[in-house]
Order: sequence, then C-alpha cells, then structure tokens
Amino acid sequence: MIKRNQLVLGNKNYKTITEDIVHLLEKFPPKNYYIGLAVAVVLLMVYVVAQGATAVFGMGLQGVNHPVGWGTDIITFVFWIGIGHAGTLISAILFLFRQKWRTSIARTAEAMTVFAVMVAGTFPIIHTGRPWLGYWLLPYPNQRGPLWVNFRSPLLWDVFAVSTYATVSLVFWYIGMVPDLATIRDRAKHPVRKLVYGMLSLGWRGTARSWSHYEIVYMLLAGLSTPLVLSVHSIVSFDFAVAGLPGWHATIFPPYFVAGAVFSGFGMVVTLMVLLRKLVPVFKDYITLDHMEAMNKIIMCTGLMVGYAYSMEFFIAWYGGSPYEGFIFLNRAFGPYGWAYWIMVVCNTVIPQIFWWKHARRSIPIMFVVSIFVNIGMWFERFVIVVTSLHRDFLPANWGMWKMTIFDAGAIIGSFGMFFTLFLLYIRTLPPIAIAEVKPVLPVGRDGGHHG
Amino acid sequence: MNDNKNTGSEHKGSPKYWLSLEQWRQDPEFLEQAGAEFQSTPLREESSEGGWARREFLKLMGASMALSTIGCLRRPAQKIVPYVKRPPEITPGKINYYSSSFADGSMGFGLVVATREGRPIKAEGNTDHPVNAGAMSARAHAHLLALYDPERATTPLKGDGGAGSALTWEKLDEEVVAALKQGGVALLTSSVLSPSTKALVNEFVRGSGGKHYTWEPMNLAAHRQAQQECYGQAVLPHVRMDQAKYILSVDADFLGTFLQPVEHNRHFGGRRKPGKEMNKLVVFESLMSLTGANADERYRIRPSQQVAVVMGILHELIVGSKVSRYAGDSSVTSILAGYADVASQLGIDAKVMQRVAGDLWAHRGQSLVLAGGLTGQTSQARGLQVAVNFLNSVLENDGKTLNARTWTYTGYQGSASDLADLKADIDSGKVKSVIVAGVNPGYSAPHLKESLKKVTTIYVGDRMDETGQVAKYLASAHHEMENWSDLEVVAGVYSIQQPTIQPLYGTRAFQESLLAWGKAAGFGGFQGAATWYDYLRNHWKNSVHASHRGQGIGKLGFEEFWYEVLQQGVFDTTGGSQDHASRGFNTQALKAAAKTEGSSAEFELVLYPTVGLMDGTLANVSWLQEFPDPVTKICWDNYLCVSPKDARTLKLHEGDVVKVTAGGNTVEAPAHIQPGQADGVLGLAVGYGRSAAGKVANGVGVNAYALATYGEQDAVYSGLNAKIEKTGRSIELANVQGHHSMEGRQIVVEATLDQFLENPSANIHRHKMVSMWSGHEYKGHKWAMAIDQSTCTGCSACMIACQSENNVPVVGKKYVLRGREMHWLRIDRYFTGEPEDPAVVYQPMPCQHCDNAPCETVCPVAATTHTSEGINDMTYNRCVGTRYCSNNCYYKVRRFNWFDYTKIEAPMHLALNPEVTVRARGVMEKCTFCIHRIKGAKHQARVEGREFKAADVQVACQQSCPTKAIVFGDMNDPESQVSRMFQEGRSYTLLEEFNAAPAVRYQTKVRNADQLKSGSAHGEGHHS
Repeated sequence: MIKRNQLVLGNKNYKTITEDIVHLLEKFPPKNYYIGLAVAVVLLMVYVVAQGATAVFGMGLQGVNHPVGWGTDIITFVFWIGIGHAGTLISAILFLFRQKWRTSIARTAEAMTVFAVMVAGTFPIIHTGRPWLGYWLLPYPNQRGPLWVNFRSPLLWDVFAVSTYATVSLVFWYIGMVPDLATIRDRAKHPVRKLVYGMLSLGWRGTARSWSHYEIVYMLLAGLSTPLVLSVHSIVSFDFAVAGLPGWHATIFPPYFVAGAVFSGFGMVVTLMVLLRKLVPVFKDYITLDHMEAMNKIIMCTGLMVGYAYSMEFFIAWYGGSPYEGFIFLNRAFGPYGWAYWIMVVCNTVIPQIFWWKHARRSIPIMFVVSIFVNIGMWFERFVIVVTSLHRDFLPANWGMWKMTIFDAGAIIGSFGMFFTLFLLYIRTLPPIAIAEVKPVLPVGRDGGHHG
Repeated sequence: MNDNKNTGSEHKGSPKYWLSLEQWRQDPEFLEQAGAEFQSTPLREESSEGGWARREFLKLMGASMALSTIGCLRRPAQKIVPYVKRPPEITPGKINYYSSSFADGSMGFGLVVATREGRPIKAEGNTDHPVNAGAMSARAHAHLLALYDPERATTPLKGDGGAGSALTWEKLDEEVVAALKQGGVALLTSSVLSPSTKALVNEFVRGSGGKHYTWEPMNLAAHRQAQQECYGQAVLPHVRMDQAKYILSVDADFLGTFLQPVEHNRHFGGRRKPGKEMNKLVVFESLMSLTGANADERYRIRPSQQVAVVMGILHELIVGSKVSRYAGDSSVTSILAGYADVASQLGIDAKVMQRVAGDLWAHRGQSLVLAGGLTGQTSQARGLQVAVNFLNSVLENDGKTLNARTWTYTGYQGSASDLADLKADIDSGKVKSVIVAGVNPGYSAPHLKESLKKVTTIYVGDRMDETGQVAKYLASAHHEMENWSDLEVVAGVYSIQQPTIQPLYGTRAFQESLLAWGKAAGFGGFQGAATWYDYLRNHWKNSVHASHRGQGIGKLGFEEFWYEVLQQGVFDTTGGSQDHASRGFNTQALKAAAKTEGSSAEFELVLYPTVGLMDGTLANVSWLQEFPDPVTKICWDNYLCVSPKDARTLKLHEGDVVKVTAGGNTVEAPAHIQPGQADGVLGLAVGYGRSAAGKVANGVGVNAYALATYGEQDAVYSGLNAKIEKTGRSIELANVQGHHSMEGRQIVVEATLDQFLENPSANIHRHKMVSMWSGHEYKGHKWAMAIDQSTCTGCSACMIACQSENNVPVVGKKYVLRGREMHWLRIDRYFTGEPEDPAVVYQPMPCQHCDNAPCETVCPVAATTHTSEGINDMTYNRCVGTRYCSNNCYYKVRRFNWFDYTKIEAPMHLALNPEVTVRARGVMEKCTFCIHRIKGAKHQARVEGREFKAADVQVACQQSCPTKAIVFGDMNDPESQVSRMFQEGRSYTLLEEFNAAPAVRYQTKVRNADQLKSGSAHGEGHHS
C-alpha cells in the first residue's frame, strides 16, 4: 500500500504547533522583516502619491486617451481581483471537497484574497474622472431625484460583485480565525494584547457547542463563497464581454477569466508561500513541498485552460467571419503591441509547462521564478485585452497608441507596496497558519498505515 | 481702586467705622492679611511681580481683539442698479445678430455676428452675401477668438525692440505727426478691401505727398500682370465654378487657399451631387492639396512643370488636334512647338494628356482652367498665368466661366515689386517714415526688417509682433469686430462691417489714426468727417449710394438705405448676367510661356499656405493651431512634406528633423511623408514659426518665408532649388488621425459616376438586420443628419464652427500627441490606392446619435440617455467619468475632460457660448446635435405663438458648410430634406451590421472618373 506523505512534517504535536505559529506573533521580528516592511511602505507611498495626484489633477496624468479609454487602472484592477481568486478557491472549494492539504495554506491564501481585493478596490474609484462621486454607483434612496443607477451596465454589476466578494471574503477569513485568536488571547501576558485579541476572538471558549456552531458557520460560509469564486471574475469579464468591441465581445470570457484568475491567484500564492517559508523557516514543516507541488499542478492545469482560451479566441475570430474581429486578433499577435501578446503567451502557457517534470514542481527556485512569470503574464493578459482591443477598433481614423506615464508605473508598482505592507503586517499580527485546522490533520494515531 | 492705599491713608486719622479691633488698631499684620484676603480681588492691580494685572490684561485683550477683528467688517454696501434702463434691443439671455464682414488679407465675405449681452460669441455667415451665402471658413470662425486674445496690445506703445513702453494717444499723435511732417511718408498695407478705407488712404497719401505700397505674401500680382499682357486689363476675373463642368487645376488650391475658397467650395460643391450635371475636377499638382484631395483625376508634377502641363494641353489642342481658331497661327504654334513631347517629360501617359485636352475641348465654354496661388509663384509665375489665360481663351471660357467684366476680385493686390520699391526707397533715404498696416513684414518679409529700423516706422497692429518690434511706434489697432468698416471683396458687392462690441482696450482703429494724423499734419480735409464713422457714412452717401441710386435699396433715401444696409449687411450692385463677350487674346503675350530650360534642381521646394493658418496672421488663435490640416491631419506644427518615394531613398521617417536650404537660407523642420506628393518636391507651410505673436503661436513650427526669394519684380515661393540634410534628430508630429487606410472596411463607400448612374446603391454592401425589438417610438420629432460625402470637400469649416458654438476646449500639442484632442466633430480622412498616388476621401464624424446607442447601456450612472426625439443626451453633472461609454462607442466620437479645461484665461472666456455648458474635469462630452438650438427654436416658436417647425433649426456645422454636405432635420417629416436623402440609393449607415442604428447616414462618395483607385470599397469577408 502506498503511504501518503504526511501533511505536517517534523513530528509535531499540538503544543509545538501552537508554539511554532503563535510564537511568531509574540516576539519582535528579525531585522530582515523590518527591511521588507520599509520597502513595502515606501512603495505604498509611491502608490499614494501616484494615485493621489491622479485624483487631484485628473486622469490626464495617466496614459489613457482617446481611443484607449481604459488603461493601467482597469488592467491592474482586474489583475488584483484575479489574484484574490486562489484564496477563495483554496479556502472554500477545497474545503467543501475535503482536501485536507489546504489547511496549512488556507489562512494566508485567504488573507491574500482580502488584501488583493482591497488593493483592487482602489483602482476603479481613482480611475473615474470624478472619484469623489464614486458613491453614485451605489443604488440607495437619495435626494438627487432620486436618481438610480443604470442596472443594465456591467460596470454596476461589477460594483455589486466586487463588494459582495470583498465582504464575504473578509467575513470568511475572520470567522476562520476566531479559534486561533482565542489561542493567542489565552497565551497573551500583556493586558493590552489580551484585551485586543480577547475582543477579536469574540469570547471563544472552545466548548463543544462552540465548535459545533463554528463548524456549521464555516461550512455555510464556504458554501456561500464558492459561487463567488466563479461569479466575481465572470462579472468582471462582463465589463468586456457585454461591450460591442471586437476582442471584448466574446462568450468565452467568463470561464476564461475565471480560469485565468485561479491561475494567477495560485501563482501569487506560490510566490507568497515561498517567501513565507524563507521568512519563517519553521513553516517549512507546515507548508511542505507537497503543498507547493499540488499548487503547481493547479497552475499547470489552469495555464492549459487559459492557453485553450487564447487559441479558441483565435479560432472564433476566424470562424465568426467578422473582419473587425479577425483584424483585432491578428493585430494582437502581430500589431504594435505584439510583444505584449507574446509575453502573455510565453508566460502563461509555455513557461508553466515545465511543471510536467516532477523535479520542477518540487524545486523552490523553479516554482518561484515560474510564479513570478505567471503574475507578469497575467498582468499582460489584461493589458492585451484592454489596450489592444481599444487601440484599433472599427474606424481606422480612431486608431491610436497607449503609452505609459510615470503615474501609470507608480500605480502598478505602488499597488504591490500596498499589498505587501498589508501582508507583512498580517503575518506578525494574525496567525498565518490556521492552528485549529492544522491540528486535526496531524498524523496522530494514523501513522504506520494501520488504517486504510 | 487700590484699597490698600486707601486703607493706609485713612489710617492717618482713625477709621470712621471699624470691623474689628485689629482694624481699629491699624495692626500691620492685620492690614497685610486684609489686603491678601481675597487673592483675586477684582480691584487688585499689582498682584504678582512682573505679571499682568487683570485690568491691563483686559485692556490689552480688548485692544487685540479689536485689532484682530478690524478686518472683519461687514461687506461694504455697494449700491447696484437694476437693469431697468437696458438698451431696448438687448434682452438678457437672447442672442442679437449683427451683420458684419470678414476679410482676411484677400478673401472675405459677409458675416452675421451673434452677440450675447454685448459680446460677440460666434461668427456666422451672412446668407444674403453673394460670395458666401451663409457659408463660412475655419478662419472666419476663429477670427472671433482673436478679438479676445489676451496678448493684444492694450495701449499705444513706443517700440524698444522688446515689449515696448506705453504712451498716451496724444503723445503718440504728437510724435507721429512731427515725423510725418518731415515728409517722405510711405504707407505699406495689404490689399485694402474696404472702399471707404481705400478713399481715406488715397486722400491721406495724396495729402502727405507720399506713396502707398501694397504688399502681402498671398498676392496674385502675376495673375494681374498676365491679364494685362493677355487682355490689356489688370483684373482678377471672377471664377464661376458653378458654371464649370470640367475643371482643370494646375497647382491651384482653390478649395483650400486660392482666391475665394468659400465661394469656390460653395459653387464646386453645388455641382458635386452625382448626376448628369456633375462636374469633373482634374488636378495636376506637386503637393497634395485640399483641391487635389477632391480631384476626380490627379496627376503629380513638379512646380517647374506647371507651364509645361498647360502648354502641353494647348499643344495637344492646337497643334495635335488642330482645333480652335489659333490652329494656323504660326506665332502660337512656334511657341507651342517646344512643348511637343510634354507627356514623356512629365512622366505622364501621353493618352492622359490627349484625353484631358479632348475633354476640355468637348466642354469648351463650360470648362475652367486655374493655376497659381503661392504654389504657382515660381520664377515662371507670369508665364504660367499667360498660358492659363490662353488655354481659357482657346476653350472659349473667357466670358463664360470666367467673368472679367463684373464681379472681379479686388483682393490680392500686393506685389513684390512694391515691396522691392519700398526697400529701395527707404534705403535711398527717399522715405523717412513708414506707416505699416494690415501686414506683418517683420514676419512675412524678414529681409525688410533692417530697412524698417532705419526710418520712423509706425506700425498699426494689434500686438508687439515681429513688425512691432522693429517699429518705433505701435498704434495699437482695434480688432475688426470693434471697428466700423466696409468691404468690397468682389467689385460691386458692398458689405458693411458693424462693430459688435465696445473696444475692449485703449486701442484705435487704423482709419481713426489716419484721420487724426492726417488732420493734425494738415494732409487734407477728409470730407470734414470728425470720426471714422462719419467718414465711412459720408463715403457711402457720396459714393456708394450716389452712384447706385437706381438699384434695389439704392432707390431709398440715404437714411433708409443706410438702415437697410446695416440690417442686410450687403448691397449688391452687380446684378444681371455674368456672361460677356470673350476678350481678344494678345498672342504676343504667349512669349512669356515659351519653353525654358527645365529645372535641374534635385528637390524643388514649395512654400504653401495651409487652410488653417494661411499667411499666419491668425497664428495666435489656438483653435487654428489645433485645427488638423485637412490633408495631413497634423496640427501644432509645420513640417517638410516629402513624397513616400523620396523618403525611402533618403531613409527619412515621419518626424525626422531635416535641414532645408533654399536661396542661401536654412531652416530645420520635421519631415512628414505625404502620400500623393510628387517625387523630387518638398513642401513647407508658411504661417508658422512666429516669434512674437503670443504664447500660442510662438515657437510653433518654423518660418518658411525665410526660404522665399525676393526679387525686384517678383517673389518666388515655389519651385525653389532646395537641399536637404538629415540632422539625426526626430520629433513627434501631432497627427490627430491614427491610421490612414480604411483597411478594406466599408467606411467611406466610393463609386464612379457611371457605377452610380447604373445603380445608385453601387458598392454599398447592405446587411439584413433582424431585431427582436421594435425599437424606440418617436412620436414627435426624430432628429437625423445626412452627410453627403460627394459634396463634402473636407474644408473643415464645420469643425471650428462646432468648436465656437459648443465651447470646445483646446488641449495643446503635448496632449494632442496623447490623443486628447476635444473636437466634437472631426473630419476623418482616408487614402485609398497606392501611397505614391492615392485618392482621398473625407468623412465628417459627429456623434451618430444611435437609436440602439452602445454608450447608453453601459453607463453605470445613466448619465447618457436617449431623448424622445432620438438624440443621445449627455448629462454632464451626472457623469462620474468611467469612460466606458467611449470604449463602447463604435465611432469613438466621445471626448473626455482629462484635466480641468474650464480655467480659461481672461478675456477669452467672453467667447464662450452661454447656451452651452462648460464641462468640468472628469466628464465625458460629445456632439449634442446642437440641442440648445433645438430648444431655443422651440422656445422661440412658443413665444411667437406659432407651431414649431423642424426647419427652424440649423445645427452649427450644417450652417457653416459651404457645400451643404451636412443636412439636419426631422426624419418623422417625410418631406424634410433629410428624410428624402435617407431614401436615396446612395445613403448608407456606417457599421450597419453592428445595429447601433445611427441617426446619421452617409452618402456614397461619387467620383467622376473612369475607375476608382481603390477598386471597390467593399469590406472583405463581409457577411449579412
């Protein structure tokens, strides 16, 4: 009988698990943490300045123009929303499928979702011409008539989809953390620490009743999140698919976007996990190479799915017979932005193929490089969709080019600053591995293969 | 006060009343205690050492409060007076229209100026004026903005080579008169098109014993000289484009910049409706001009070959086909003999020359041959005109399509010989003072600068420009909209120019200055006129009215006549038929067109005017700088046009900066590769490279006048022997159009006349549209627009009309490069065929006001919606600026306010049309179908208690269009012109298959040619 690899290495017991994870929050971090945080905060400042200037002086600071009305902000918005998908997928779908290996990575993947959605959420607001009126996109009884929103607009569906997603992800993440927060509370010595974690743990006592309720709520939330994994990016894709533009108007967009989102999300999870393993060496026992390999398999699988979508788009462009559609796709691959298209193709469909080899799937350096390429490739995928479709549409007289300004670059780079600032603060304040979930998957009493 | 002291002083005696024995005893311990019992007694002053006592504190506090709040007075009462005694003609919120005139150097026509609360907001064409009949040009619209130019001189200035120093008019007059009294007075002006001004100038010149020199760069002296030699009359005959069925143009851009383009567009366009009477335009030209863009057949020549083309056709007719009465005339045939083999020299198929000659002959009396303009100002300019005159005489056009008796053009009087004379007279000391008016020689004739510095130069201009800087005095002049004047741009057609605003600054009209100086210097009585207005009226009374008492309103008494003239703006005394007997041609003149040695120049440089800037007078008007050239679609620069083949040989790319040397002068300009330009020819636009015109124009492009050659008799602007050299640098040219080929898509449908006559829907690929929805229901009106691409010449007057009407902002070169231009109406220009020799089509592109508008569904806040009358509305204050609508617009007609464009420098904000919202930062905007005009017309109908008719509304672009290519109206009225045009076979919807159902439909561009350069304009792989 083939023995399964253990999910947690290093002969842990309940005590050492708690020690390993909570200890991280109870001591001052090492110097390299502060360096990392400083870099992240500087980038965050870049983000604040770039987007702040755009909000104050106008969208004209960015490269968007006529005909390319959407640029960096929308591309990067879709990019971050996509990143978030892996978290929900890992925590909700894999939970429902009883994939036990998810336990040690679920917390951080979910945190990544929450932070990615937070970062993403800033983009569409700044991107409007008058960000101070962004609340007009919310349908609520108002004194302006009342004026209602246009329910036919995909952009409005987007508002609903993203805000729902943000709320549910946050609640799911938080509920999952409650028992762990109680553990931290129980170990806390400083009264303030006790108070803060005490409040956050919502009076968790760990009784059988609490556990029973908790499990039910967690499963319900998992059930609630699952359709969101599919719906959010489907609806984001409607922003494009519902428009009439060649290159946007395609029925393949919803599944294609979801696959792409999961793909990029897992790419980001791998990036973060590699960094986390590096930053906190003891986590290597929890986030094992088996975990990494499993995620790399998903990357490869979803990579093939987006590759299929790329080729299907081309096929339909030819099969559909619309000269506009046909032109757009040829222009994507061979036009002035052809380089972006080929970056996308290489990063998303060619490079992940290395994971056919087990050695590559289990090599930390290889997977780190691949995951970075996946993230680059997925940013370019959105670039290709947004910019190359807009820059040459129906009437050639309208054709134009899109050029990045320093404000675009600041927004893109700076958004990583925001993300990593949140992430680094998170790993030192909240338990990055779900203590209560890891404990049940310990091989206690199951080792030796006595049970089937 | 201080009770301690009091207590102490009373102690000198004994207390009258005492409270305790200690007090009575005056015990020192008690006294001290009593003093300190209430630590904070309100009456204590010296409570602590060095600290402030309470009262002092209160005093200081009070004082500082008073000081700090002293600025917070109530708002001072400023009494305002209600608008009770308003001028009777002014109703706030209502437009008043005043008839006026526009003259820009040499072309001109009647205007109606729309004013609101006393300020002009828009210039419109005067429908009664026979030259423009309501049509406009881009520059005539932009002329309005020059009125509000913040950089106009506000006072007279004394020149110091820089910005000048202000002085009073009295002081200026004193000094000027002193100078004029010295004698040797010269007056340098452009063509004086105002008959009253002309009379005044003549009187002044006569009185001063001086001389009047006339010069402007856009002169047609060669035309007049050739007329003199050929027919004994130095006139510019009226070009009767409406009578011509076959037009041959040799480097004459009559639709853009030659003679009276608005009139020519109007008459040319009038015969572009496809049918039996459709005219045909054949163009031989060196550069690609607007006229060449509209040609049915176009051939490329070098400027040095202009004469040869005309003489070659003459040879074909007279020697080859032996037609016309000159066939046996040996004096003619001997000269023509030199042109026997023209076709091969020109590199044009000999059959083409034969065919063109044959067609011209077949259309004799109905054809027209034109050549010239700045592009025709080669060293052989006169010979060219003689040849053209002869060809017109041979073709019996003189007296039929050319009218040299009445209606002659009065403009373009300047001559290079006058300029040379002036320079010689100054240099020889004959001239001591020069009054310069209406022309800017410091810019357009740079070689005159040094001479002008030698004498007392009095410049009558509107700013310290290039001439102002070399002049001793700047007698700052009114803008024409502040000034009375009149105009006779066509002999016998008088129009009036009424001031439409009080002068904004302390400026004075040129005429007023002449009167003041002339009177003070004792140069004449000036008809006893106290002011220029009196002089003008006197002239009209004694001259215009007196000599036309029998005609039309001339029959009225003068006061009634004057009132009528002011109201109508025009007094046309020409009347009757324009046909006349043909004039006898003096064949001796033909020697001027004798065969010469061809040019051996590797490159022939052509300096040409652009439709937007012409001679560069209005260069500081931002509307014109951002006006995309109709041919190149580039704005904010001039550039060296190079043919595609030459660019390949020289390895030049668009925007590469090259050094151009001609006549010993060198300028550096970016290269622009111009499809359709003749090989071996370079083109550089004049009007750019201003150094002292203002913030807008300074440093934009290079001054091409510096490359012209100024001789004794003529100035040469074309066919200059030029060299070019690469500099290795490169700049970006602001081209508003991204791509210039239709990529085989059905965008502008073209058909030949024969195809059209056979099937009006020729070449239109129609789609069978299926819908599950019945569509919007339009119960009242349904606004729609039909655009005829056959008559549209691409002159782009509509663009600036729209800009002026709708407060469209200007963004500058940097942002045009980023694709941020704001024009609501743009003119798309496509090339078809080979880049070396393409055909050109134009497509005006306003918002299409789609019934199934893609923009409307995607706006999340419903800021763009559909009206019950089919207009796609834009609610600016609801817009949050997602730009989704623009992305989803198939026609990309929406414009976004990338920055805050509402901060307009005073007084330019006065040019804003109060009827149209000025859009804030971050909102989307686009063509509204001039909805404010529709609303205004409805309101007017209601006020007048009558039924509103769709015909009451004209949109701004339609109103300005010289060729009436844009028709707006109610589609629910089956009799409306727009409904009828929609029914025509050549009417089609752009991108029909996407079913946006636009309210704008286009009509096939029909070419009167045997075949199209593109073949069929059909899209490939279309499906229904």
